[in-house]
Amino acid sequence: MDKRLGLNKYEIDSESHIEVDKELCEKCEAKPCLFVCPAEVYKLEDGKLVYSYEDCLECGTCIIACKGMGRGAVNWRNPRGGFGIVYRYG
Amino acid sequence: MEIIVCAKYALDVAEIKIDPSGKPLLDGVPRRVSDIDKNAMEAAVNIKEKQGGTIKVVCFGPASAKEGLKELLAMGADEAYLVEDPSGGMLDTAATVEALAAAIQKIGSFDLILCGEATTDGYTGQVGPRLAGKLGIPQITYARNLNVEGNSVTAERDLEDAYETVKAPTPVLVSVTREINVPRIPSLMAILKASKKPMTIWKLEDLGLSKEKLEQVSTLQTVDLQGFAVERKRVVIKDKPVEEAVQELVSYLMKEKALGV
Amino acid sequence: MAAEEKFDVIVVGAGLAGSTAAYVLAKEGLQVLLIERGRQAGAKNMTGGIIYSRVVHEVFPNFWEEAPVERAITSYNIVFLGENSAVTLNLKAPGLGKPPYNAFSVLRAKFDRWIAGKAEEAGATLVTGVTVDELVMENGKVKGIKSGSDELLADVVIDAEGAKSLLVEKAGLRGDFKPEDVSVGVKELIELPEETVNERFNVGGGEGASYTLVGYTKGVAGGGFLYTNKASISLGIVARIDMLVEKQVKVHELIEDYKVHPFISKLIEGGNVAEYSAQIIHEGGIAQVPRLYSDGFLAAGSSACLLINNLFTLRGMDLAVASGAAAARAVLKAKERNDFSASSLSAYESLLREAFILTDMEAFRRTPSLLNNRRFFTVYPDLACSVMEELFSVNPAPSEKAFKVVRRHMKGKAGLLDVLRDLLGVYRAL
Repeated sequence: MDKRLGLNKYEIDSESHIEVDKELCEKCEAKPCLFVCPAEVYKLEDGKLVYSYEDCLECGTCIIACKGMGRGAVNWRNPRGGFGIVYRYG
Repeated sequence: MEIIVCAKYALDVAEIKIDPSGKPLLDGVPRRVSDIDKNAMEAAVNIKEKQGGTIKVVCFGPASAKEGLKELLAMGADEAYLVEDPSGGMLDTAATVEALAAAIQKIGSFDLILCGEATTDGYTGQVGPRLAGKLGIPQITYARNLNVEGNSVTAERDLEDAYETVKAPTPVLVSVTREINVPRIPSLMAILKASKKPMTIWKLEDLGLSKEKLEQVSTLQTVDLQGFAVERKRVVIKDKPVEEAVQELVSYLMKEKALGV
Repeated sequence: MAAEEKFDVIVVGAGLAGSTAAYVLAKEGLQVLLIERGRQAGAKNMTGGIIYSRVVHEVFPNFWEEAPVERAITSYNIVFLGENSAVTLNLKAPGLGKPPYNAFSVLRAKFDRWIAGKAEEAGATLVTGVTVDELVMENGKVKGIKSGSDELLADVVIDAEGAKSLLVEKAGLRGDFKPEDVSVGVKELIELPEETVNERFNVGGGEGASYTLVGYTKGVAGGGFLYTNKASISLGIVARIDMLVEKQVKVHELIEDYKVHPFISKLIEGGNVAEYSAQIIHEGGIAQVPRLYSDGFLAAGSSACLLINNLFTLRGMDLAVASGAAAARAVLKAKERNDFSASSLSAYESLLREAFILTDMEAFRRTPSLLNNRRFFTVYPDLACSVMEELFSVNPAPSEKAFKVVRRHMKGKAGLLDVLRDLLGVYRAL
């Protein structure tokens, strides 16, 4: 996955556009974000959810999956102007 | 304080492709304002916000540099000047200095010239110092912070293994490092305002220069341009107890001189 | 902070819908601000489709002469993928490679920059690298937009932010999206020399092929696509969000499977992957379309969930252009009355009907439910392949009649009644 994302161009912001409510997330057993995110932004490390907003393709899948099948712990907003994924082809 | 910021509309190095023969392909590579020049602009805006004054930004570059200048106007410059480079941005630092100096002389008075320590594409770091030489003013390079008091500036220079604090009278040229600040992201209103700020476009002839004259001073020739590809070693150590695997990895890295004494 | 200038209309998003709306409005002399969060128009956009020409031609006559289109699609294919084989339905129509054309492959980073440029030429103010965070609301009415600490007011805000449709939600026009109504699409852009594409797909210069891929998705509702660009191929997969979770399958694993399938691997052989992109797709059809307008607010393109899937064609980009134009025309009418209330802007809906967008979406309202039928992407593609393989193979064993072969292969997978019911479903949906 790293290799695949390495092909893309990103303007990486110093602040994250994704926030996860830890309390809600810990109660979530399904953790749909682990399966649906095409960039594998969300991962489990020692049973805890970690996320790398820098890899985000800004597709919006996690918002829908987390709200509809999880606990709604993912709080996603658009990155600040100009930051995030920059498609060269699209 | 009257401040002039020099900025380059540099090649976006993230967009340079290396073709299989090892040659980087520079054709059609998009440009963007060199990152460190944005630090210089931010430093200028910080000074202006504290003690007032004007900020003019000067660029020697292709016609497309207007896009970059708009961004710098949105960051807080009051006026922009573009000297159109007929070579499309491929002349060396001597020619760049010739053009910038002529533009600055035409603009007239100034107290402080700010530029980035180097540009993100060529990274020669020569334009600032050479420009100070050409204009016959003092220079302070690699400033990681900057203070203006009356008719003098004090800066802390980053010498990698030490910091040096120096003071110089104005007019002075200061080149800044990335560490000096975090450049602002222009807000919607700032961008809208910037579209109404004046931008002057000069041809070389407007400054008493010509393409031929610049080519004469531009003595640096690019003989060859080669990318290099790093082949991965593709060594995988698996199906072994951790201790053994670590031992093997360490001895491999030592053999490759990646680790060692 | 007070604005020094006043805009009649603020358009959020310089994609196909937004730039078209800004273009139509600016051409009529309105003060239009077009705000894009990417560094340039197109920087955030990707497509897993082709752009159908007819509707775009109405707004931008003969756009193919100046727009950066990749190839005019003249070869249309539906491919059912089995384990090791594929059954293809192919239409070759060279006539579709002439003006006014049927469809083009496009790369959005280039195409969207062109169309935003048209809006600028017409007089719209394009601002890039600015994210709109909120709407300015007053008693439920939309009054403008917020970006960081900046507020800017306008008579109307046209939301063309794309499929995430965050502002439509903030305007209170839609509830939460349901995972079963939305798919995630991922795409790899695979570079190949132009001549190789011509030869491999048996197309003339400037002409191209499109493939809709069915099956081979580990039981997940969805499918794939493959399009030829000038010097590259777009290969992608679309998978329903709820089913990825249910089957615990990762969407990029499906694309990896595709790439080694004998039918696809031959088409992409020797290519270099240059980009990996992703986007959500609203598959819920007309039932998913939110309220399209409110006081001072209109939604166009995929932020209004406008998408038509009739199994043969997937229309999104041309609907974005058409809805952008319709939104702009509704605003022009409202401007004549100087009334930007919801009832004044309701002309938008009738304009969308006149452009056959809502009518088409209603006509195909049953297709989304077809996707709920797992046999369509699990049983039938495999069945088609194994039956055809047997019919075309000559063995020493005694031959059976075709129907008997089909019945034998269906055993345990689908009953005759199921198949008849499914056929009826397809008939009704289409």
